[in-house]
Amino acid sequence: MTRLFLNRALAMVAVLFGLAVAVFVLQVVIPTDPARAMVGSNAPEEVVAQARADLGYDQPIPAQFAAYLGRITRGDLQHSLHTHNPVSDDLGRFAPATIELGFYAALIAGALGLGLGLLLVGGGLVGRVARVVLVGWAAVPAFLTGMLLIVVFYSWLHVLPGSGRVDDDLLLPDGPTGLLTVDALLTGQFALLGNLISHLVLPAVTLALLPAVAIARTLHASLEQVMGEDYIRTARSKGLRERTVLLRHALRNAAGPTLTMAGLLVGLMLGGVVVVEQIFSWPGLGLYVTQSIAYSDFPAITGTTLALGAAYVVINFWVDVAQAVADPRLRSA
Amino acid sequence: MSAVKQPVADITTRGGAATLWRQRAASADESRTGNLVRALWPLLGVTLVVLVAPLLAPYGSTDINPAGALQAPSGAAWFGTDELSRDVFSRVLFGLRTSWLSALAVIAVGAVIGSVIGAVAGAVGGWVDAVLMRTTDLFLAMPAPVLAIAVVAALGPSLRNTLIALAVVWWPWYARIVRGEVRRMAARPHAEAARLAGVSRARLIRKHLLPGAVAPVFVTMSLDVANLVLALASLSFIGLGAPPPAAELGAMSARATTYLLDQPWVSVAPGVAVAVLALAGTVIGDRANRRIREGAAR
Amino acid sequence: MKPPAPILDVRDLRVTFSGRGGRINALRGMSLQIQPGEVVGLVGESGSGKSVLGLTALGLLAAASDPQVTGSVQLDGFEMVGASPEGARQRRGTAIGAVFQDPMGSLNPVMKIGRQVAESAGGASDEEVAAMLEATGIRGPAAVARCFPHELSGGMRQRVMIAMALARHPKLIIADEPTTALDVTVQAKVLDLLATTARERGVALLLVTHDLGVAARICDRIAVAYAGRIVEQGTTEEILDGPRHPYALGLLASRPRLDGAVRGGLLPTLPGSAPDPTSSVVGCAFASRCPAADGACLTPVPEAHEDGRLVACHHPGELTTWPDRAAQVIKAAVAESAADGLAARKAGDPRTPAVVATGLVREFDGRRSGMLGRRGPALRAVGGIDLTVPAGGSVAIVGESGSGKSTLLRMIVGLLEPTEGTVRLAPGPSPQMVFQDAGASLTPWMSVGEHLAERLAAVGMPKREHAAAIDRALHAVGLPVDAAARRPAQLSGGQRQRAAIARAIVVPPPLIACDEPVSALDVSLAAQVLNLLCDLRQQLGLALLFVTHDLAAARAVADEVVVMQGGLVIERAPTDQLFTAPSHDYTRELIAAVPEAVAA
Repeated sequence: MTRLFLNRALAMVAVLFGLAVAVFVLQVVIPTDPARAMVGSNAPEEVVAQARADLGYDQPIPAQFAAYLGRITRGDLQHSLHTHNPVSDDLGRFAPATIELGFYAALIAGALGLGLGLLLVGGGLVGRVARVVLVGWAAVPAFLTGMLLIVVFYSWLHVLPGSGRVDDDLLLPDGPTGLLTVDALLTGQFALLGNLISHLVLPAVTLALLPAVAIARTLHASLEQVMGEDYIRTARSKGLRERTVLLRHALRNAAGPTLTMAGLLVGLMLGGVVVVEQIFSWPGLGLYVTQSIAYSDFPAITGTTLALGAAYVVINFWVDVAQAVADPRLRSA
Repeated sequence: MSAVKQPVADITTRGGAATLWRQRAASADESRTGNLVRALWPLLGVTLVVLVAPLLAPYGSTDINPAGALQAPSGAAWFGTDELSRDVFSRVLFGLRTSWLSALAVIAVGAVIGSVIGAVAGAVGGWVDAVLMRTTDLFLAMPAPVLAIAVVAALGPSLRNTLIALAVVWWPWYARIVRGEVRRMAARPHAEAARLAGVSRARLIRKHLLPGAVAPVFVTMSLDVANLVLALASLSFIGLGAPPPAAELGAMSARATTYLLDQPWVSVAPGVAVAVLALAGTVIGDRANRRIREGAAR
Repeated sequence: MKPPAPILDVRDLRVTFSGRGGRINALRGMSLQIQPGEVVGLVGESGSGKSVLGLTALGLLAAASDPQVTGSVQLDGFEMVGASPEGARQRRGTAIGAVFQDPMGSLNPVMKIGRQVAESAGGASDEEVAAMLEATGIRGPAAVARCFPHELSGGMRQRVMIAMALARHPKLIIADEPTTALDVTVQAKVLDLLATTARERGVALLLVTHDLGVAARICDRIAVAYAGRIVEQGTTEEILDGPRHPYALGLLASRPRLDGAVRGGLLPTLPGSAPDPTSSVVGCAFASRCPAADGACLTPVPEAHEDGRLVACHHPGELTTWPDRAAQVIKAAVAESAADGLAARKAGDPRTPAVVATGLVREFDGRRSGMLGRRGPALRAVGGIDLTVPAGGSVAIVGESGSGKSTLLRMIVGLLEPTEGTVRLAPGPSPQMVFQDAGASLTPWMSVGEHLAERLAAVGMPKREHAAAIDRALHAVGLPVDAAARRPAQLSGGQRQRAAIARAIVVPPPLIACDEPVSALDVSLAAQVLNLLCDLRQQLGLALLFVTHDLAAARAVADEVVVMQGGLVIERAPTDQLFTAPSHDYTRELIAAVPEAVAA
């Protein structure tokens, strides 16, 4: 188990390095001149040359790469061209909102996916209807879901807010984590907590729907396969209830592919977050990156890419470990 | 037909047997490809529809509908008009064409690049395989949407760059599938039997290994159409597609969010169009998947 | 004296499934009674419906195949046909237990053994679980209970399955091919365990198997199934002494025998094949293959009648020996094709041995666990073996799984590089191989003709001569000429193996290597393939190198037998000598473990 853990950790480091290389390659092939972009298009040639030397872009590529690796391992992601803050500071400011949104969306996606997956296996009329609904659902882009939810729950029914993390007239909790719901809970501001949650509902659901459908379909497919295995027949031959067979014997065996899918879905959600934050004006990394794109703020874009990519790789490392815990055959390998 | 009941074949029929087996073998091949074609023709059908659709549009993609700006859906403007008085219905028809063809283009490019890499890795093996597949794994281990966003943002938003970015993150799946199938085939006794029969390496790969990967690749391609329609729309939505005034469904939806509360149709109509297109892709993909798998089982 | 009520009473059971090309008639009116404490063998080839009976009694027919069941299955007085799912469930475990074929697949891979056993008992303490495991001969039961299935050997897993089946003291156990996946020595022990525990506890046992020998080893009574019905049943002695139904007779006769009563090429075979399961049967299902059949057999379906025992035949007992007509026909076809030019490409100089292997060693790198792990120690699969196959000779290598016999074979044909040692082959076409899984040894998307043409092209035969050569080869192996146009999936299992053999001999090589060529085939088909190989050897002057776990098959085809264990040769001797006077303990153990279907 320890060895497996170390192996996966080593693989994770390799992938992180690959990610760094990929981002570096992007910086090299970028058609715009970063030095020119930094000092502005009207700056005289000497200023540009000076900036280029300051940034190290006059060095040969290997030296640039070494300097770049040194920088990012120190957590220095250069300065944003737009906000003029260090990108790492900007990320620190925007990340909590995204983490909070992503966390609740993941919870919803997991619960919804699990429930729907089991519903599908149940078959019958409910299962068939659920299957049709899921196929349809999978085709709806997140931005359409988000807009429809806003129109219905905000514009028509006036029951849920359609943008931001909190009502403008409320003061944000000054908590230690930056995760507002946690901070509000810690400081005992329950009215504020309610307001925060009401703001979370629509974006979190929007973000969760596509992953939930994918989880449900994967779980269903692997449950179907597992239910045809010989050990299920054995379990039935013992006279176990069908429910016990499904939950005790089938579900754990079907967990592997579903966990893998869940790990991959984190990537989908990272993409989805950009869309959802834009629709709901959610002040997180997604909004930050959309703005950076609009301003061609390349340091901000690469910095966010590195941060999100690293988060994805680390999450998938833990998914791998979880899988090994779930499957004794992997554990002893 | 039993082998033992009439074990002594009639000698007089032997002369004709040669042509007989060639013909039958050919028809067996035809039924295989025929099956693929039958499974995939709906894709062609949709392609024709989206190609023809813009011809039926009452207005050009940037023409002004005289009904005025931000009009509600009516007989004069079926899906209403946008803030610049353009006809939303017409623009959706143009957008459908772009979305669908772009999705197909990315799949084609991704599948070709991935298949070649996967086939080389699987067929050559050894360190070539190791290098290619570690690279592939590396791509797969990174979050595709984030990488795609970074690539387009770096190259500068345009439809071409979006397609390049998506192809960059899409090919590894095909590489892995093709490589896996080739290795699976190579591990079967039939590959060993062919080697013992004295079949050349090139022929072994071409005739005994690669055909096994065709069906899985086509299944994946057909299932991917919907995914790509959605991915393209999302990138376009966050501003990473063709710059305005191009009629792109995601971008149309995004620019009209300002009017979402009062004139929802302007953003909802292109979104629904994306959903319809993706649904068509899903249904076709599922159907092709079933058919091809049944065909392979037969 | 009235016999006690049967524990299992099956009457006129008919089961159909939905399948490609119509509904499949799995059972066509099967009747079978098992008395309490009785050990009954249900023997049949694939398609006989033998497994369906067990699953119907358990109420476990797969719903996905839309089974339709009529007739009656009374389990300890409870009607299982049409029973509510809940009613059937309550009988499972308590009234009836089950042991299935594949002990790896039949245990939940992610659940500890102890928990799976406890669950079978409806909850049990660790001590109780250990006691149950110990009762099936498992040593260190407490430790085993903490293991996961993949940590146990096949035999151990099957013992666990037996412990689970017995956990709630059922009155009947259905064991469906319980030992088919096991090595022969393990098989003997597991069979004996099943029989003794059943007898000690007074549990009735229904042993479903394709192997008459397995049934004969432990059963009181044997029922022979064919095309969804029981064609004959009687005591084990009665069946072995002289079956009165022609099918049972043919099945018994076509088994290769350990006593060497029938030698290569002369095994009696059953011609033809079982009726199409999608069509209905009028009259006797076996009539088209039966040497004793006449007009009377065409209608109606023969009823099982008491004749001291049950025989469902219009002419019971008329046939006492099985004619070897089919074997003769094949022999003629081979001879004819050989004369027709198949043997023109000479298989080689009769003085040069087909192969001389010296000092063959093969080591496999130990598994490396991940990037950090060290490689485990190298695994020595074959540890230094000399082997000579004379021109036109026939050598069998026998051994259990892990003995290294397949590795040796693969080195000899050149599929695997030896770590040490040399292989010297006779000049001429390179050796060809016949694999266990004939379907997998043919390329799925290529027609049989293309397979053969490819081999011909590889030796440089001009294209225009291909067709004639292909026809000759197909003829020699007993395939119709239009088989050339078929893809493997369009052929039956036996036909596929013939097609694979046709490819091997279309250019006769000095040596043909066979890796368990018949172990995936039904008994009657296996006999045909064994005969075919022997005939081809004789007529074409090929040498055979035959790897098998089946000692009887080895006896039928080989001149010399090599016994392997743990990568080494334990004993080698001329066939008759090895079987009559084995000199090594392991050889004796192997021979003793072979389930024989010979009347005592």
